Amino acid sequence: MQDFWSNYAAPAIIIALQSVLMLVILLVAIAYVLLADRKIWAAVQMRRGPNVVGAFGLLQSFADLAKFALKEPVIPAGADRVVFLLAPFITTVLALAAWSVMPVAPGWVIADINVGILFVLAISSLGVYGVIMGGWASNSKYPFLGALRSSAQMISYEVSIGLVLITVLLCVGSLNLQDIVASQETGLATMLGIPWLSILNWYWLPLLPMFVIFFISALAETNRPPFDLPEAESELVAGFMVEYGSTPYMMFMLGEYVSIALMCALTTILFLGGWLPPIAVVPFTWVPGVIWFVLKCFGVFFMFAMVKAIVPRYRYDQLMRLGWKVFLPASLAAVVVVAVVLKLTGWRG
Amino acid sequence: MAKLIIDGAEVEVPDHYTLLQACEAAGAEIPRFCFHERLSIAGNCRMCLVQVVGGPPKPVASCAMSVKDLRPGRDGTPPTINTKTEFVKTAREAVMEFLLINHPLDCPICDQGGECDLQDQAMAYGVSGSRFAENKRAVENKYIGPLVKTIMTRCIHCTRCVRFVTEVAGVPDLGSIGRGEDMEITTYLESAMGSELQGNVIDLCPVGALTSRPYAFQARPWELTKTETIDAMDAVGCNIRVDVRGREVMRVMPRLNEAVNEEWISDKSRFIWDGLKTQRLDRPYVRENGRLRAASWGEAFGAITERVKASKPEKMAALAGDLATTEEQYALKDLMHRLGVASVDCRQDGSPLDPSLGRATYLFNPTIAGIDSADAILLVGANPRWDAAVLNARIRKAWVHNRTKVGLVGERVDLTYPYQYIGAGPTSLSDLGSFREVLEKAERPMIVVGAAALSRPDAAAVLAAAATLAKDVGAVAEGWNGFGILHTAAARVGGLDVGCVPAKGGKPTAEILAASAAGELDVLFLLGADEIDTAALKAPFVVYIGSHGDRGAHAADVILPGAAYTEKSGTYVNLEGRPQEAVRAAFAPGEAREDWAILRALSAQLGAQLPYDSLAALNAAMVSAAPWLGEVDEVVPGDPAAIDRLAALGGSMDEAPFVNPLTTFHLTNPIARASKVMAECAKLIEERAAVKVAAE
Amino acid sequence: MATLQGTAKSIFLSEFVSAFFLGMRYFFKPKATINYPFEKNPISPRFRGEHALRRYPNGEERCIACKLCEAICPAQAITIEAGPRRNDGTRRTTRYDIDMVKCIYCGLCQEACPVDAIVEGPNFEFATETREELYYTKDKLLANGDRWEREIAANIAADAPYR
Repeated sequence: MQDFWSNYAAPAIIIALQSVLMLVILLVAIAYVLLADRKIWAAVQMRRGPNVVGAFGLLQSFADLAKFALKEPVIPAGADRVVFLLAPFITTVLALAAWSVMPVAPGWVIADINVGILFVLAISSLGVYGVIMGGWASNSKYPFLGALRSSAQMISYEVSIGLVLITVLLCVGSLNLQDIVASQETGLATMLGIPWLSILNWYWLPLLPMFVIFFISALAETNRPPFDLPEAESELVAGFMVEYGSTPYMMFMLGEYVSIALMCALTTILFLGGWLPPIAVVPFTWVPGVIWFVLKCFGVFFMFAMVKAIVPRYRYDQLMRLGWKVFLPASLAAVVVVAVVLKLTGWRG
Repeated sequence: MAKLIIDGAEVEVPDHYTLLQACEAAGAEIPRFCFHERLSIAGNCRMCLVQVVGGPPKPVASCAMSVKDLRPGRDGTPPTINTKTEFVKTAREAVMEFLLINHPLDCPICDQGGECDLQDQAMAYGVSGSRFAENKRAVENKYIGPLVKTIMTRCIHCTRCVRFVTEVAGVPDLGSIGRGEDMEITTYLESAMGSELQGNVIDLCPVGALTSRPYAFQARPWELTKTETIDAMDAVGCNIRVDVRGREVMRVMPRLNEAVNEEWISDKSRFIWDGLKTQRLDRPYVRENGRLRAASWGEAFGAITERVKASKPEKMAALAGDLATTEEQYALKDLMHRLGVASVDCRQDGSPLDPSLGRATYLFNPTIAGIDSADAILLVGANPRWDAAVLNARIRKAWVHNRTKVGLVGERVDLTYPYQYIGAGPTSLSDLGSFREVLEKAERPMIVVGAAALSRPDAAAVLAAAATLAKDVGAVAEGWNGFGILHTAAARVGGLDVGCVPAKGGKPTAEILAASAAGELDVLFLLGADEIDTAALKAPFVVYIGSHGDRGAHAADVILPGAAYTEKSGTYVNLEGRPQEAVRAAFAPGEAREDWAILRALSAQLGAQLPYDSLAALNAAMVSAAPWLGEVDEVVPGDPAAIDRLAALGGSMDEAPFVNPLTTFHLTNPIARASKVMAECAKLIEERAAVKVAAE
Repeated sequence: MATLQGTAKSIFLSEFVSAFFLGMRYFFKPKATINYPFEKNPISPRFRGEHALRRYPNGEERCIACKLCEAICPAQAITIEAGPRRNDGTRRTTRYDIDMVKCIYCGLCQEACPVDAIVEGPNFEFATETREELYYTKDKLLANGDRWEREIAANIAADAPYR
């Protein structure tokens, strides 16, 4: 009995509590990420953005939540009801599940598994199911076309994301996300003899082309502009979400933003040194790691938002060309180059 | 014929033309206010100025100068007239500026706005601004009766109204006082005009000084849907235009028809329209326990069927009223004959006119246009001023232009022109005195038999005597038939044409009424027949088909709501025998239907279904029965030999003097009796008569 | 050379970087929008907003029922019925309706009006919850006129020199 308690029950309860805590923090954060997205976009266009609900519009997302929750859910007559309602759940749940392996500070992680990066890759690949199911279950032309586009797009860009990850993993030598961050404590800066400038230690500099490819692929993976073709309103009205409204629609949006946040966190961990301070001198090292992590995540998100504001949407064939003809060969070559360099120099592994 | 060069083009016009008419003939448009084709020439507006080359150095008022007054040039070139030169243009602009000096700019509140000669011509021939900074003239409005509203400040002194009232209407009620700026149109003593044609001054007035009082501010001309139709207020069959907004008749205007009404209509025709909106029967009624209650068509038809089935054809009868179209009367007759009923009559007034003698015995044979060429007219028991006001104006026109001699046998009335009074009763017919010589000498004499002669018990004998007289004085000759009946009801000639009279064994109106008073009648159909003594209708089951809750409806046991004359299409035959097509201008209110459709529906219920499902089919059936009715707008003359047959009837005449059956001009039919305006006019005439008696 | 340059440009995302800085420049510029329900832009005296029927200073209604506005209205949004007024027989409307749903705010009615009775005032905040409320009657229009008279009079005065 004691065994059961200490071996199963207690860890389960602790994990549940941790998950709830994570969920709450994540959802609140998403609310403000959404607001930030709108505010940044508005600012670039010399607008004010939401500013009526709460001071500076801080409660706007909650108002939207209430609105979506209170609206009447409309299910089209010809839709497959079960799949139709399941689709947004899958999108959201899968996006949230990936967060279970995200370390935000040393040891601050729900499940510290050794193949964390593989878990993330697997889960984010499953996300396309939500889109496909939603598009198919709507039993309508535009959603179906949107879903097809979306799945093709996500699969295309996952290839290059995978290859980019390989280059990083080659450098790290571990699939554990905490290890990936830890491996960035030393690097280019220590080699150059300026260990205090730890920002140079991170992988963004040595793997700069990979960093760029990863960032762009992340945009495509999350259906963010300029790659928001699945929901291109001028062609497909709203893509796979045409028939959705009310709470199911909100679930889609939530899932989308959770996976955006996930991509930001992943970029931070892989290329921007996770919770490590950018300059390893006294005042900066006092700052808790989680703050650095959040700040870096937000920095990446800021770039996400700016891209949305300044880059026009790609055409579908351009999107495919970029994915298959540019990123795939480039990242494949990068894997070879990195492997060769590492083998020759013997820096790692 | 005279040769002229107008605007560079040579034209040839009759000598008696004025320059204005010559210019019109040459296709040049001449603006005018005071000139009117049917009135004398006044030449006081000066709008029609033209330039006569080689003539006076100033512009010439073309309406007042005759073609005869022009001389050709020394080299023999025809007189030259310019209407489009700068000289003429400046002259017209100056005249227009003068006219507008004292004309208020109140077009927005003026009823003439949108159909105003001054507005149109100011746009076409005027200048845009005014240089007149001084105070404008203001004139007090005059009361000239309940029909015509005056806003005298707008008057431009064209005097068309004065000339119309004096020359055409023959009632010198209007005149002008003062000179120049101080000139005013007035009735001298503030009183209502006493003409039955006074409404025409509204059309004549080129500005908004004289407007229709009942129509005041009701609508704008551009809002109205205009339907050209035929008037049913009297037997003249005036051509009218009914202006409708939505479902409401807003006004009635005359249409030009030289052969019938020229361009005049009587006040009854023009101002009747408010009667179309009151006292309307808009749903069927059935009498239960002595009270009428609203019912459905089915109930009403059921009640009728029950009574008709229980009765015998000899105990049924039908009367057609004064406003029914010819088609309806034909359908009524047809239905009654199918039911075996012989007692059908359209002669509500009890006249003995008999279509079997021939058409010429009941038509106004000389035709209305023929009055213009008549040189002696004998009126027998007629008061054309009330019976047919427009026709009276035509007689007056003949008197004005040709000094046609008029004699009258019957009640002494004011006919607006002088006449020789011969006697009060029928005996005078055989002793015309000096007028017999006049008639005999005349090339085209006319004998007009009126309502007072026709509604008497001895009317048949009077008719025969008149016909004999016509033959004797040569009124019925080759190319000229001067024997005419002056009908008072629009429906009558049509009814006689389709034979809506008692068949063999049938009773005429008087006997029908007598039989119903005696309780010998079971069922009586009234097709809008209101001009009868309804006290006699207590016993029979009365079915009234009509538009207004008037005498007939009060006596009815079942009321079937019909359409008024503006709400149905059909044919009206005027007193000359001219079939004219009336066109529906508005829809009947509520559940009311066109009368022929009611008869058609009723016939199916009674088991004697009429074989026409549309008005066109009914019209075709009617035309095949009376082919001359197919000649729309044409008079098919009756055979003059019929008058010999009429004269041969003979008969003895009563000594009693002729008494005009109409006691009022305005309240002669159910629509008029429902009209507030007509009631007001009738009251006014009554009051005036009372005052006159007191003064005498 | 040119292709090389183009390739280099795209590899180093030069267009994206310049766009980013352009975006950031605008990011910190003052906002062009205003905080609408609390702040409003100034409007021209010729602004064509909600309709109003005006009165003379003595309280007499201006409209004389000439129906020119009804005639000119390209959307046929105006319905007028006229008749002599009960007490003095002057020409007045018995009904003056504007269907604000049909109205296209072209301003031809106020151009046509000979007495400046129907005007399009400066009010543009007249949204309603039901369609019926947008069928303006004479009472509603006169009430509008009373409410906005000061602004309307000022606007007409301001625009008068250009007419």
